[in-house]
Parts: sequence; C-alpha cells; structure tokens
Amino acid sequence: MDLTDKEYVERCRDGHPEDFGRLVDRYQKPLFSYLAARVGNSPQAEEAAQESFVRAFLSLKKLRQPESFYSWLLGIAGRVAKEQFRSELHRKQESEAAETLLTSADDHTEDYPLEAAIAALPENHRQVILLRYYEGLSCQEVTTRLGMPLGTVTKTLSRAYALLRQELETREHAEQTVNQTEQP
Amino acid sequence: MNCAECRDNLVACGEGLLARDETLQCRAHLETCAACRAEYEAIASLQQRLIARGQAAAGVGIAEPVMRRIRREQFQPERETMVSKLFKYRWGFGLGTAAAAAAIILLILLVSPRTQATAAEVLAKGARAVAKLTSIHLRGQMRTYPGENFGAINPDHPFCTIELWKQFEPELKWRVEKPGRVAVMDGQSKVMFIKTANEAFKHSPGSTWDFDTEWLQKMANLSTTISNELDNARSQGWKLDLAEKTGADGRAKSIVTVHAEFGLPEDDPMKNLFFDIADARRVYCFDARTKLLEAVQIFLRRPSGEVLIFDLSQIDYNQPVKPALWQLELPANVNWIQEAQILPDNGKYASMTAEQATRAFLEACGREDWNEVGKFISSITAQLKQYSGGLEVISVGKSYGSKVYAGRFVPYTIKLPPEEINMRLSNENPAKRYVLMGIYDSKLQPTGDDDLKWTNTPAILPDNDVYARMSPVEVVKACFGALTNMDWPELKKFSPDDYVEKIKRQLEEEQKAGMDMHKLMPGVEIGEAFWSPEQSAWFVKCQVSQIRGGSMAVRKDNPAGRWQVDGGF
Repeated sequence: MDLTDKEYVERCRDGHPEDFGRLVDRYQKPLFSYLAARVGNSPQAEEAAQESFVRAFLSLKKLRQPESFYSWLLGIAGRVAKEQFRSELHRKQESEAAETLLTSADDHTEDYPLEAAIAALPENHRQVILLRYYEGLSCQEVTTRLGMPLGTVTKTLSRAYALLRQELETREHAEQTVNQTEQP
Repeated sequence: MNCAECRDNLVACGEGLLARDETLQCRAHLETCAACRAEYEAIASLQQRLIARGQAAAGVGIAEPVMRRIRREQFQPERETMVSKLFKYRWGFGLGTAAAAAAIILLILLVSPRTQATAAEVLAKGARAVAKLTSIHLRGQMRTYPGENFGAINPDHPFCTIELWKQFEPELKWRVEKPGRVAVMDGQSKVMFIKTANEAFKHSPGSTWDFDTEWLQKMANLSTTISNELDNARSQGWKLDLAEKTGADGRAKSIVTVHAEFGLPEDDPMKNLFFDIADARRVYCFDARTKLLEAVQIFLRRPSGEVLIFDLSQIDYNQPVKPALWQLELPANVNWIQEAQILPDNGKYASMTAEQATRAFLEACGREDWNEVGKFISSITAQLKQYSGGLEVISVGKSYGSKVYAGRFVPYTIKLPPEEINMRLSNENPAKRYVLMGIYDSKLQPTGDDDLKWTNTPAILPDNDVYARMSPVEVVKACFGALTNMDWPELKKFSPDDYVEKIKRQLEEEQKAGMDMHKLMPGVEIGEAFWSPEQSAWFVKCQVSQIRGGSMAVRKDNPAGRWQVDGGF
C-alpha cells in the first residue's frame, strides 16, 4: 500500500533509506517537467532532477514539515537549476552577459507556476493529479491504485482543478502586479 | 439537466465516464448555457496543460540512478571517524603548537578509548570496501519459528538455514529462502510462497512489506549497514570492541563487536521479538588485508544470558546471479492470498475499533462463519478452521500498542471446542500413588507441554493409603476437582509443585484483572482408563475444552482500511 509523503520521509529517517525510492517514483516526472521548463535541455533537466533528489535525501533530517516534501523538493530543484545555470555560464566564460542572464534565470522561477501550484495542493488531490497526468493512468486505473470509488476520484479531480485554477490565478495576478510596478 | 447537475458531472463527462443519456444531457446543457460552457472550457484548457506536461516527462525514469547515487553518497564515514579527526588536528596545529596539540590529542584519547577509535576505523574501511556492490549472496542460519516468515526471533528453537541473493544493478532484485518459504522480488512484483500451505502472496514493489525480510535486506546493503553501526555507536554511545585474530584460512582477521541497544522499554510487547529491533551484540569479522566483511554473528541479550540467534558464514560479492533465481515456480493450484480489498459494506468494518474487530473475528470463528472470518484475515486455512471453529469468546480486553508496530494488540480469552486428550499417569514413585506424568493427544503423541515434568518427588502423605488406593480415573477426577476449587495443596498431591505454582500465578493474575474464575476453568468430561502397551503406561481419556488467551495483533494499514489479524492467534 502506498504511504503518504510524511510516512515515507519518517521511514527514511528511521533507517529505511530504500524507501526514498518510493518518493523518487512519485515525484520524478513532475520534478523533471518543472526542471525541463526551467533549463530546457532534457539531459540537463534529468541531471538536475537526480541532483535535487540526492540533495533532498542528504538533507532529509532538516525537513521540518515532512508532509510538505514536494514543495521543499521544488525549492531544492530551483536552487540546483540556478547553480547549473551559473556553472554553465562559468564554463562558457561569458562574463559580460552573466549578470543579465543570471537575473533572467532568477525570474524563471515565476515562469513555471503549474508544478508549484500542484505542490500547493492537499496531498490526496495532488496524488490523483500526478497519477492521472504524470503517470498517465485512466480514472478507472486511479480507482484501482488508490482503492477509491470512481465517484471519489472524479470529485477529487474536480476539486483539484478548482484549487489549481485558483492557485494559478493568484500567482498570475501577483506576477502581473509585479510587472506593472516595475514598468517605468 | 440544470447548472448544478452539469457542473457536478463536468469531469466525469470530459473523462467519458457518464452513461450515454447523461452525456447527451450534459452536452445539451453546455450548448445552451454560456457560464457552464466557460467552466468546461477552463477545465479543458487546464487538462491540456497538464497532459502536455505529463507527456513531456513520460520517458523519465531516474529512480535507479538516484538510489545508486544515494547509496554511494551515504558512505562518507572516514571523514567522521575519531582517528581522522585526530589526524586533522595534528596536521592543523603545526610544529609551533605541538604542546597544545598533544593536550588536545590526549583529551580525545581519554574521552574515546583507542579500541573504540580503531574499531570505528575498521568499520569505516569495511564499509568503503563494499561501497560499490552490483550483487551479493548471503548464507547463514537463524533461530526462528518454523511457521513464521523471515524476521521473528525464537532463541529457544534450533537453527534453520537462511539465504539471500540481491542484485543492485542494473535493476534491484532479490530472493530470500528458508525451509518451507521463499520470497522473490523480480523488479515487477514481490511474491512470497509458503510451500506447506501452498499459499502465495503478491505485492507491488512499492509496498513497504517485504514479508519480514527487511532486516536481512538492510544487512545486505552492507556499506549502509556498517556505516549505520558506526553512526549509531557515536550517536547512541554503543560500545565498540576490536580484536585481531588469525582465521582458519591462516589470514589475519579484524573482529569488531558492536554492543547494540535498540532500547525498547521492557514492557513493550515487541521487545526482542524481531531481528531488527533486538538488543543484541553483533560481531563483524573482516579480512584484515582486503577489509571485506566475511562473517557476522548476532547474539540476543536476555536476562538469562546471551544466545546466538544469527550466524552468517558465507558472503559472496559481485558474483553473477542466474536469472532463474528471480523466477518463482509456483504450483498451478497455488492459493493466491490478497491484501484486504474494499468490500461493498466496507464502512461497517472500517469504522470498528480494534477491540470490536477482534471480537467480531473471534465470534465469526465461533459460528464457523468463514465468509465473515475472511473479512478479518486474508488466509483461512484448514488449521485455522480446525483450531477455532466453535470457540467461545470469554473476554476481549482494551487494546495497547508498541513503539515499533503499526497496529494494536488486543488481549483476548477464548474457550476452545472440546478435544480429546489423554492424561498419562504413573505410580512408580516412593509413595506408590498415581500422579500426572504428561498430557497426550488423541494419537497418544505428547502435546509438547513440558510443565508436567517432576522436579520434586511425590511425597509420602500422612494419609497416603487413601491416595494409593485411588484408580487412575479417580485421580484425574480429583485433579480437575482440585483445580476447579483452586485447592492448590490438594492439586500438588497429583502434579509437580512447579506446575501448580505456575497455574496458581496465572489464575491469580486473571483474578486481579477482574476475570470470572469459573469462566477460566476448562470444561472436562472424564472417560475411561486404558493401558498402552507401546508406551507402557496408564492413560485416562478426557474431552477438554481448553481456555486460551493471548494478544491478537491487528492492523488496518491496508487498502480497505479494515482491521486485519496479523498474528497472536
């Protein structure tokens, strides 16, 4: 039976490091999607995703709210993406363009709100969205996987869509406000 | 269809889950209602976005490389050892501060004895030597119950063999085998086959239960196991010892002993029951030159002394594993046992307390309603039916927990249906009285009850003649009469003192707990006496309804969220 993020995190901390694999299975695709949107190149996104998971594992003891594992993981991934970007710049020795590019890299965080909005969902809603879209399961298959009645799955999806739209609107509105403030 | 009904059905409609009529009604409403249409389009737009993101990540599979890196990254022990700290300080201070450096080194040596640091160094090097394994094979022996899975300790039972094969790369697979039981994870699923019961259990690799092989799986991750011993020795203050010896192969060996304390409270019901939670002394034998681990011994510490419970004598590193090992040949008629599935009336069971579920299970056994029994236990064997059919529930107590068990323990007392037993008697003693010598089953096999062993000699009583004239049947009647009246001195005239004292203690405890003593007395129908030429002994046939008690282990972390019997019955 699948455990919650919190339970997996606690099991990892209690000496079952192999259970971290379950969290990787659960979040590898949305994390990759998030990073691919940020760094573009697929191999780079995959490398960043691996690095993010490894860092998350090594810092697991510092995670104060295990139920927020995915949000926390996205934060780590954001930092990994920035480091990767800086390292790439350094390698190319494009010192003059560095500042400009770094600034735009920082801004990229706000450009990819979908995964962040998914991270903000309650865990049961997030789980259904991930299985339906990132694992490509049909509603019927989600029903079997989670042991929920079909009606509960469609209701959970319906509620998750509403929450996602609300979250995306809030983020987009905030972004517009920032842009308008910054305009001369 | 009105707006509210339409919106309730929008997701199901988009997913093609509605009946044809409802779909047509929903679509008809969308054509006429702009507000609902806008809502539908907003959801469809979000779905398209999600589908695109999901498809972009469709081929991603990084779990294996991540876990490989984690296994490697986890191992950084050398930089943390006391020895390396010492060296760090020495090189850091330089010649000008030699005296201060010496003082600090001395301080560290005083805090941490040399043996501790050196043992830590051996562990660190041992962990590093096995940091990059592709496969491992372990073979040893353990003391456990024959009918148990792979993790329970029974220090009083003879050894049985246990063997594990584990492949780390390119894909994680494993197989664990002990007499009568085998479990295999082939990368796709985990299956355990119990040969004696012809039953098989299947779980997805995502399931956290590895059929109680978890402790051995962890041990097979040798680098992590050894590093963890080191970390725990530091953080928990466990003592480490080091000895240098020459092995039977003439090579030098480094023997590190870890005095481990799992630290469960004395009253925890799980204390020392399983390998991974036992208070134990673990002895690791490394080859002094290659630093490779060659053997492990685990000794259980208990008040009566230590006992060897696990002896790992063979470790093969990175040997090719035959693919056939990951395939489990099962009989065509194997009985597949599933995890609890959601029932049509699941809510009725899911809302039960642990106590209610235990009572309902026991009562269903009593009624021999095996369909109902199946709601609480995944495997209904002929043995279970024979043992529990017709039982009577005497009491179900308040549940209690353990720090290391996800379920609850529920105390219970039951009266089993009558079964034939034969009381063995003998008058070959100085008092020439018939006394009880043992309890045998209907086929005159000992029931395994050793309590009736005489450590005292039957005494010559003041009225010995009265007892010496009693027949075997009269003695058995007198015996059960004394038990029913709790007349312990009288019972001692027929049974060993230790046996009577034990029964007395048990009943007194039950009495203190408020039990009705009459309910705890076994129901007995005494039959005739007969002489067995094979056993050269007198027996008295009895029909006895035995009283049994214990704690039922129940857990509800299954897809159906219902309490399931996990043990203790």
